[in-house]
Amino acid sequence: MTLRVSTGPHILTRENTQTLMLDVLIALAPATAAGIFLFGLRAAWVLCVAVVAAVVSEYAWQKLMKKSVTVHDLSAVVTGLIIGLNMPAGAPLWMPAIGSIAAIILVKQLFGGMGHNFMNPAMVARAFLLASWPARMTTFLLPERLLGSTQASLGVDIISGATPLVSQKLGISSGVPLSDLFLGNIPGSIGEVCKIAILIGFLYMLVVKAISWHVPVFFLGSVALMTWLIGGDPLVALLSGGVLFGAVFMATDYVTNPMLRVGQAVFGIGCGLMVVIIRSWGAYPEGVTYAILFMNCLTPLIDRFISRKVYGMVKKNA
Amino acid sequence: MKKFTFRGGIHPLHDLHEGKEVTRMQPIKPYVPQSVCIPVNMHIGAPSKSIVAKGDHVLLGQVIAQAMGGIGIPVHASVSGEVTEVAQKQMLGTVPSTCITISNDGLDTWTTLAPLGNVEQAAEDRIIPAIQAAGICGMGGACFPTHVKMSPPADRKIDTIILNGAECETFLTADFRLMVENPGRIVDGLRAAMRAMGVSRGLIGIEDNKPEAISAMQQAAQGRLGVEVKVLKTKYPQGGEKQLITALTKRQVPSGGLPCDVGVVVLNVATAAAIADAVIEGKPLISRVTTVAGAVKDPGNLLLRIGTSFHDAIEACGGYIETPGKIFAGGSMTGNCAPDDSVSMTKANNGIVVLNEKDAALTAESQCIRCGRCIQSCPAYLNPYQMHVTYALGKVDELEKQHVLDCIICGACSYVCPAHRYLTPAFKDAKDLITARRASK
Repeated sequence: MTLRVSTGPHILTRENTQTLMLDVLIALAPATAAGIFLFGLRAAWVLCVAVVAAVVSEYAWQKLMKKSVTVHDLSAVVTGLIIGLNMPAGAPLWMPAIGSIAAIILVKQLFGGMGHNFMNPAMVARAFLLASWPARMTTFLLPERLLGSTQASLGVDIISGATPLVSQKLGISSGVPLSDLFLGNIPGSIGEVCKIAILIGFLYMLVVKAISWHVPVFFLGSVALMTWLIGGDPLVALLSGGVLFGAVFMATDYVTNPMLRVGQAVFGIGCGLMVVIIRSWGAYPEGVTYAILFMNCLTPLIDRFISRKVYGMVKKNA
Repeated sequence: MKKFTFRGGIHPLHDLHEGKEVTRMQPIKPYVPQSVCIPVNMHIGAPSKSIVAKGDHVLLGQVIAQAMGGIGIPVHASVSGEVTEVAQKQMLGTVPSTCITISNDGLDTWTTLAPLGNVEQAAEDRIIPAIQAAGICGMGGACFPTHVKMSPPADRKIDTIILNGAECETFLTADFRLMVENPGRIVDGLRAAMRAMGVSRGLIGIEDNKPEAISAMQQAAQGRLGVEVKVLKTKYPQGGEKQLITALTKRQVPSGGLPCDVGVVVLNVATAAAIADAVIEGKPLISRVTTVAGAVKDPGNLLLRIGTSFHDAIEACGGYIETPGKIFAGGSMTGNCAPDDSVSMTKANNGIVVLNEKDAALTAESQCIRCGRCIQSCPAYLNPYQMHVTYALGKVDELEKQHVLDCIICGACSYVCPAHRYLTPAFKDAKDLITARRASK
């Protein structure tokens, strides 16, 4: 009889990195489906290229560097999909490819691979593309089809495809009904427009406990509160641009947000503040990407300075 | 009804249940082996000294190894018969121990017993010496001599005795069966302990996944002075001594301190039953209930004589149904691995669990993804992520500053880690290192 002898625990959770990433992919499915429905086949191609480029570059890098190949953990698929969902449907197909390669090689692998990147790879990729090809990254298509039976309100003054946020920035009321903001009948990035799909994904991740509610709720709460304080409409602020998508799918990236709940609250509030500051006083109409990247950089500091009291740190004989 | 609990913790699942379903409805069955092999160092503290030799005839309950010093406890023969061997053997511990093998004559002839009688009438000052003489130690797993626990320093005022009936560990249902089948004995033991220590409050904590035990214990506690059953949330490690105290009293045991520092003494329910046996009948601790589970034919709860080999206990449950890959004493979160199945049951042994080769296989680590599950699960509010990084760097002093000594080695962080990092083993290693270093200074 050969028995293995070890320290406990002798059973482990069935969860692993792959199952967690699969949960994120399932949560992204509604937003992906809505994006393809709204923007048509072109959107599907953008997503496809982004995912394939991410997986292939991770595989190639690990082979080249003679590291064990870990593409089966699905993290590259998630990164690629999120990059694609952050792009306008009309982007030329080389753009998602470049974004994914930059995310995987520059941000993830060069810093040591899974778990070692200090910024969210998909976010850096988006910032990189935005800085390199600002016009192409902000030319948004109108949805080809509409969700729900709303009036054809899209037309007239947004033929150019300016997002509601751009209109606001220019001091024009976008005049888009809240229901259209909610359903996604607006120009924007593939994955960020349909808010209801994002919320379904959020709920799914909460139910299967893939993420906790702290980061998204503090993020969105601080956006709403700040917007209200400076005299804006909190609901429009939450339903415009990439705030919801960013709060649910990008700020919640395990690797780049703090580990303690209190730290996560600080992180979320900081993201919200930055978004409102950039939207209101910055040069860009939207600030989710930079807000999250900024807070990613603060994460090590937050983790360092926010700690909790260890059990038993009480006065003896109290 | 208010349910008590602590912060942190996990819900360990094995095959989508806690592994308890199989045995929880199996009544306790006595089993007596042909021979027993009793180690003299079952308890924490100096090993007892063997006072028998090969060829001696011993009676059931007769002292075969003497207590060494005031905190030691004696060891008793768990069968009547002939001593066939006194030798060093490899048991569950890391170092071999002196073991006394007795061939069972099948007669169960008891030695002369000196009972104190009814727990409400027995002289208070004779109870603790009787507990020591009966060789009772913590039967929840730690095996710390009970009479020592019950004799705290004079400046520690104890106001509460807590009976631990949480049984939060996976697979185990031994305490559950004892509470269902013999609740009166447990309450008797608690009353004896309360009277011996002059304590007016006795709490019995039971997790809410054991409704039968809760109602049985509530019934048995009715009309008993100061005894109260408290319902706990089902969560691991609810039965951890510190977690149980915090759940029921809101007090935190200070770092490096003992429960008596916050006026509490915690005893396992099985220990309480053993105390009742010792006081009422004068019987020493010679048997205990153990859950035999996992890859065996008829998993169940056995009343086993101390010193029964794992092999005999497993055979009594129909034997292996698969090639065993791992056998451990206790539950799957903190159980002690047996090197083979010849090792003996000890007083602390609440379970014998057999895993097949597949379940026993070593899992590979993957990269930490900083998900923070380890931190959320830690019932000691530590930062296992950070501690593991520090451990990997070999910085032992730094680990001490990160409070690794406050780690209770419950295994929760390792269990929940999706990257399957070897967290708990690292912390156990670090604790051992630091303790050894302190001892050598």
